[in-house]
Amino acid sequence: MNILDIRNLTIELDTSAGPVKVIDKLSLQLAEGEIHTLVGESGSGKSLLAKAILGFINPRWKITADRLWWRHYDLLGLNPAQRRIVTGRDMAMIFQNPGSYLDPNHTIGEQLSEAIPSGELKGFYLRRRTDRKVRAERLLHRVGIKQAKEIMQRYPYEISEGLAQKISIAMAIAHSPKLLIADEPTTAMEPSTRAQIYRLLGKLSASQGMSILMITQDLTTMIPNSQRTSLVYCGQLMESGTTEQILNKPSHPYTQAMLEMSLLDQSVAPKSRLPTLSGAIPTLQNLPIGCRLGPRCPRARRACIQTPPTTRKKQHSFACHFPLSEDE
Amino acid sequence: MTKLLEVEQLSKSYRHKTGLFSGTKIVALEPLSFSLERGETLAIMGETGSGKSTIARLIAGAEKPSGGEIRLNGKPLQATDYAERCRNIRMIFQDSLRSLNPQITVGKQLKEAVRFNTNWDAAAQQQHVVETLRKVGLLPDHYHFYPHMLSSGQQQRVCIARAIVLAPQIIVADEAFVSLDPSIRAQIINLILDLQQDMGISFIFVSHSTEIVKHVADKILIMHRGKMIEFGPTQVLVNHPKETYTRHLLQTGTL
Repeated sequence: MNILDIRNLTIELDTSAGPVKVIDKLSLQLAEGEIHTLVGESGSGKSLLAKAILGFINPRWKITADRLWWRHYDLLGLNPAQRRIVTGRDMAMIFQNPGSYLDPNHTIGEQLSEAIPSGELKGFYLRRRTDRKVRAERLLHRVGIKQAKEIMQRYPYEISEGLAQKISIAMAIAHSPKLLIADEPTTAMEPSTRAQIYRLLGKLSASQGMSILMITQDLTTMIPNSQRTSLVYCGQLMESGTTEQILNKPSHPYTQAMLEMSLLDQSVAPKSRLPTLSGAIPTLQNLPIGCRLGPRCPRARRACIQTPPTTRKKQHSFACHFPLSEDE
Repeated sequence: MTKLLEVEQLSKSYRHKTGLFSGTKIVALEPLSFSLERGETLAIMGETGSGKSTIARLIAGAEKPSGGEIRLNGKPLQATDYAERCRNIRMIFQDSLRSLNPQITVGKQLKEAVRFNTNWDAAAQQQHVVETLRKVGLLPDHYHFYPHMLSSGQQQRVCIARAIVLAPQIIVADEAFVSLDPSIRAQIINLILDLQQDMGISFIFVSHSTEIVKHVADKILIMHRGKMIEFGPTQVLVNHPKETYTRHLLQTGTL
């Protein structure tokens, strides 16, 4: 069953050149316990989508959607106070550069204890205080930190980025959320640390039935057991499907190009020129009409100035006038 | 024929002062030797703190080595020989916007390098800069642009232009692709491969992206905790690594 159901989400920003649809009719479904990877280059609106789900909304944005449902709550219909309760109880988020999100003035232990919901602690003051400490330690054990006692005494500047990300994951899972949104949690981390974080997220998802919406820039940095993958470009959904389908049988030229560019395919001869999309990612003020990939797409034709309809086949959907599989 | 770059027993250590007379020595780089031919690409891989950036900085002359020798075309390079280094060894940094001066136009920044290292007149300098801009896929108009007016891919191209403007023999790139989007990154890699073919430049990459290293490098040097673990041609290291560390790093990308 889908716990998060987004249909035709549109976010409009007011710029000096008039309103711009930063996210244009994006649909996304997330099932319970599923890891969903959202791939998009910079400016694709992927972080904005995360903010829209969590409700970190600037009042100047105009958000419209046919459906923006979290379990049985209509998120757009709730008032801010109700929405805050739902979000706080069920969702959590982790960010990139975790070190900069920790408070430099307090120890890790203090910050972590703060994240533990007070409602779950029973008894008098002293009892609650020791319980809080014990639970904080247990959280650190759960994210794979062995010397929990020692780490709790430290300040954020004394720990590495990988460790800081584990601590922010510990804070995020302190109230056992149903959905964890990870916004590029491993950018600028080295491969070994990245693998550790991904293993940890995979394990947490499997053991607690937590859904993860994993936002990345690149197809190479993906959680290995992610079930579904979606690609967005400039706020439009290009293709969405099971990870296997996306990696092995892409239908959209953008997916194909991303696969080739990330060199996942071993058949590319060393030192040969890479296939690439020409030109640069358009800025917000100059978004092309119709299919926004149009000017950069190798298969673009005249019809592409019209926004392509989304084709849905079971678990798989894509928006392209000239998909790859048809003529082969 | 002499090799383009020979590094022999190069080492670096820092003294960390703990008192008036006492101090502890931190070894960032244990003695290592390797060599690089003309037109070749060397990739340096390793974890954070393994000393890979230290090697890059030592070769580019940003730091003085504690011991050992760097020879360019068989001639030892002194740590203070800035003019020689400036002309032959250039560096590209990770964050392109931050490594460009925001107050000076792109053209002026490139021209500075030419002005200080040649005795050409102003017209020839300008002509050369425009040609260089064209080589990296920018337009002559970009001469008058300020860095913030360009996209991240174009900024990285300007950095590459600044590196090749003096027709160097070696370019050292320290994590130059990390912050780029995939489609822009592929364009920059293509540009670098083209430049290497046209101008016969040797590249030294510091990187931790296994895919890119496998694609562009002729030789790989693996660092771990200040020591050189393995050094050899890419094919050999990828297919028949001697050390388990190398195998983990190159084949699975994990440790």
